[in-house]
Amino acid sequence: MLLYRSDEFYNRLSHQELQTLMNENNAWIQRLTAQGKVKPGRALERRGAIVSGKNGRFVTDGPFAESKEAIGGYLLVDVETLDEAIAIAQSIPSLAHGGSIEVRPLAEECPLDVRARELAREEQLVTV
Amino acid sequence: MNTQNQNGYMLLFRGNDWIKGLSPEEKQKVTDQWMAWFRRLTDEGKAVAGNPLEREGKIVSGKNRVVSDGPFAESKEAIGGYFLLDVASMDEAVAIAQECPGLPYGVRVEVRPVAPECPVASELKREAEFATV
Repeated sequence: MLLYRSDEFYNRLSHQELQTLMNENNAWIQRLTAQGKVKPGRALERRGAIVSGKNGRFVTDGPFAESKEAIGGYLLVDVETLDEAIAIAQSIPSLAHGGSIEVRPLAEECPLDVRARELAREEQLVTV
Repeated sequence: MNTQNQNGYMLLFRGNDWIKGLSPEEKQKVTDQWMAWFRRLTDEGKAVAGNPLEREGKIVSGKNRVVSDGPFAESKEAIGGYFLLDVASMDEAVAIAQECPGLPYGVRVEVRPVAPECPVASELKREAEFATV
């Protein structure tokens, strides 16, 4: 999964720069789609809510749109290795204007499950 | 914030360190609850996708496309997984987020409306509208 992190950099671009970026982006996504390397991604609105606390009793506005860390969207890439996913992330046209891409492998199973099993096994070893 | 959005909502689960200090039984309990929750939402047609993410990863940033390690596994902000919801309002998405079994252990859920298109495209359209006025 590629997570796009940036502030609203596109508000600082000229019309010409925006148009160029849009064209580059379209060509980029078309090439990867033709190669069968991407699954649909989505952009996220730059507003939302954060739910926290027991039973989700705290609901606050967030994230802050001006934050460089705010997630603006995601893309799923269908490749075998992290290196390949990184190479695709590096070819993202909008990086020329700043921001960053977080590259994360989807987990086969929930890491919670894996950890719970590990702990259970460790306990077994101790009790043997 | 009771906005309608036909494109659905995304739940981002934040926090990776909350599992520390739980007993194996507690961990198993939360995991089972989480899976049952996702299955129920899927059966109800409210969750259309979801995935846990591995704790490892890389960050690619800036013009020079520098690759660095990240996110930091122990970070409270690190994203551990996501659900994609097919619900029509922010209120409904927030109500589902409030059911997250990780909340009592410090997980935070970010609720985000999915955008109809890339913001660069929206920006161009907005400019075009101004130009024709």
